[in-house]
Amino acid sequence: MSPKLKRSLICWGLLSPIVVVILFPYLTMLSTALTAKSEIFVFEKSWFPKVPTLENFAMVWTERGFGRALANSLYISIGATLLSVIVAVPAAYAMSRLHFKGRNAYRIYLLITQMISPIVLIIGLFRLFAFLGMVNSMNALIAAQSAFFMAFAIWMTASYFDTVPKELEEAAWLDGAGKFTAFMRVFLPLCLPGIAVTALFTFINSWNEYALALTLLRDNASHTVPVAIAFLTGTLYEIEWNLIMAATFMATIPVAIIFASIQRYLIRGLSLGGVK
Amino acid sequence: MKRIGKFSPYLLIAPSFFLSVFVIGYPIFDVVRMSLFKVNRFGKLQKFNGFGNFTKAFSDDVFLQTIGQTAIWTVSVVGGTVLLSIPIAMILNEDFYGRSVARTIILLPWAVSLAMTAVVWTWVVNGDFGTLNMTLNSLGLMDGNYVWLANADAAFTIVILIGILVSIPFTVTIFLGGLTSIPDTLYEAAMTDGASGWKRFRYITMPLLKPFTQIAVVLNVIYVFNSFPLIWIMTNGGPANQTDILITYVYKQAFRFGKLDKAAAGSVVMFAMLVIFTILYFYITRDKHPAAKKAKDADDAVLEDLNVSKA
Repeated sequence: MSPKLKRSLICWGLLSPIVVVILFPYLTMLSTALTAKSEIFVFEKSWFPKVPTLENFAMVWTERGFGRALANSLYISIGATLLSVIVAVPAAYAMSRLHFKGRNAYRIYLLITQMISPIVLIIGLFRLFAFLGMVNSMNALIAAQSAFFMAFAIWMTASYFDTVPKELEEAAWLDGAGKFTAFMRVFLPLCLPGIAVTALFTFINSWNEYALALTLLRDNASHTVPVAIAFLTGTLYEIEWNLIMAATFMATIPVAIIFASIQRYLIRGLSLGGVK
Repeated sequence: MKRIGKFSPYLLIAPSFFLSVFVIGYPIFDVVRMSLFKVNRFGKLQKFNGFGNFTKAFSDDVFLQTIGQTAIWTVSVVGGTVLLSIPIAMILNEDFYGRSVARTIILLPWAVSLAMTAVVWTWVVNGDFGTLNMTLNSLGLMDGNYVWLANADAAFTIVILIGILVSIPFTVTIFLGGLTSIPDTLYEAAMTDGASGWKRFRYITMPLLKPFTQIAVVLNVIYVFNSFPLIWIMTNGGPANQTDILITYVYKQAFRFGKLDKAAAGSVVMFAMLVIFTILYFYITRDKHPAAKKAKDADDAVLEDLNVSKA
């Protein structure tokens, strides 16, 4: 046995308990989502449904308002992503490129906004939006989420801006381009991949957010996906786990795949934020 | 070259600044003010009440019990997370077949909404039909079904274990960053000197990871202390408030019982604790790139030691 093969077996062996615990709920989710209702509530249970079925997916989509929740979540996540990126890009440019008084103070201020969880302020937030008549407004949730996600977006974007050589912009200025033109035509295109990654992380954060969505959107019709699914577990006379697991599967797997494909960029955002 | 003027940096940060003042700053002010006033159940401030709301909260047995539970929750989750994350990060830092698959699996809970994780685990530990009982029975580890979430100790243990599971990805990422910053040459030098695996861990890995451990602890304390969805969805603080933590207590007071005065006082207590943790964080990371700098200083020191011992 080659040394690397031997090492691989040891490493996987050591990791196996945690790997099993992490994957266990997903297997449960998949197995239940594929099982017909009549087979769920039997005492002779097994991992594999006798007759795998996709009817749960169809049913949750059409009959339990999941489609509506999905549309709400998409609207909110896209809105929160756009708003976060729009406020983050100029701020990140200032933090990465310009020297100004108070820059370090602003860095600390951003960090502090990350230390405060929305839920500590939830009463104040609720009262603020109630005062503005914006409870149940998805736009209120977009504004609230963006304020909490913005700092991460600024750090992450700034870390990309730092990698673009100053000379490129200076060359554009010498060629007669104004600062704004140089930024839009030379600088921004180079940073687009970084901004895209930032946008994806913000989207995932917003998609997964629960506490603010639960509190600010109180109307059933405006529930987001996590709130709608969690609601199903608590209110029904008979909890339809087969449907809930089908919904959970659809709500988590696409996002998990996006996350897995961009996770290696996370380190950058963390390191600039002063975490590392 | 055009000059936009010295105000331009401020214009650039202005949108982000105003958004956060509006959504974060004003509610802080509002909650602190509310905690000092008598408030009716519709949220109308009535008259200044000094610290009356705080005395009211602190004379509530459930509130005191909740503070103790918050301490248990935070210490167990953060402690368990850090203790498990160091070895996991060390394994993931090795070169082995399927490493990227292993990393993806370990980071998976990070990608999934805490609310969804809570929903799925609620089903997994379901007393009658859950897969946990089914698996334990078929492995012969248990006979019959157990209703996990109906017993306070079992329920609290389960939410704590799941809390650990979902905190591992972030913490492992911090430690992986720390481990990659340790140069291989240090280990090679130590091996030439005949240092055993344990000694290499004790005298190289541990001291060099120390700054990362401190940061992991403080940030996790902040996140775990604030964590709402797991407990809210899985146990709702029950049975009999025995799995409530401050955040679920405050939420219940405000949105279930309409006791805004107690809720505001509770929020301010939490806020004060967060301020303390945050100051601690700034103290630990007071230099610009503290971890990197400390790690570098530590390296130099270890290299010196090794040189000395060689000479």
